[in-house]
Amino acid sequence: MEKDRKEGIKGMANPGRYGIERVAYWLMRITGLGLLFYFIGHIYETSNLLDGKAAWNSMLELTQTTEGHIFLTLVIGMCVFHTGNGIRLMIGQAGFGLGKPSRADYPYTPSSLNMKNKLCIYVSIGLAALAMMYGLGVMYDV
Amino acid sequence: MSNIMRESHIMKIHYLTALVAVGFVIIHIIVRVTQGFANSLEFESVIANYESIPYAIVLEAMLILISVHGFNGLRIILLELKQGSAYENAVTYGCLIAMIALIAYGSRTIIMASMGMVEA
Repeated sequence: MEKDRKEGIKGMANPGRYGIERVAYWLMRITGLGLLFYFIGHIYETSNLLDGKAAWNSMLELTQTTEGHIFLTLVIGMCVFHTGNGIRLMIGQAGFGLGKPSRADYPYTPSSLNMKNKLCIYVSIGLAALAMMYGLGVMYDV
Repeated sequence: MSNIMRESHIMKIHYLTALVAVGFVIIHIIVRVTQGFANSLEFESVIANYESIPYAIVLEAMLILISVHGFNGLRIILLELKQGSAYENAVTYGCLIAMIALIAYGSRTIIMASMGMVEA
């Protein structure tokens, strides 16, 4: 704990510490920002429609490459993880799945950081991986 | 924003916009996949989508919901990093202005494309 304080915000932010919950915390923020930037880009991309067929097709060519497909696959993964983990957080904030309140005894294990929540995080990551594979299949017409 | 609206209300809006947006995004993806991914992105197909009023309403709703959710999410992340009255106001109003600008820009595309105001 003392080491944490000395490390400051770096200690708090370290995704390798505090288990999968801290990884989920970071993934939630990274995927959220990634999706926001994608959304802004998507709005700009679709506005090319107004400039006619040639402009639309030239913009579309950018996404019809291997790099474009990899980028869209990442977007699918980010979207599914953000949705799955977001639903977990909403359920948690509503007070469900947090465990029963109990006296704080050593080793002070918080009841909210339980297997149900951990499982939901792993399921969100698994669903994101499955959706990415499905997305790749659709884009490559497999 | 906290002097305009309570943070608890903002969080409810954040969650509600997320849940409704997920429903609309599922419709958006189903439309793309059922038409065949490559075919659905053909110019004529996309224009036909925009000219369908119910689908244009879905797109407009998605634009508003995701913009509100996305920029409020960005605001929350930025407020976690640093606090202070001036900083919080700058972040809040900056996100609000960016959100309105994005909705206006996206709405322009939806309205013009659905009315057929597209260059030949």
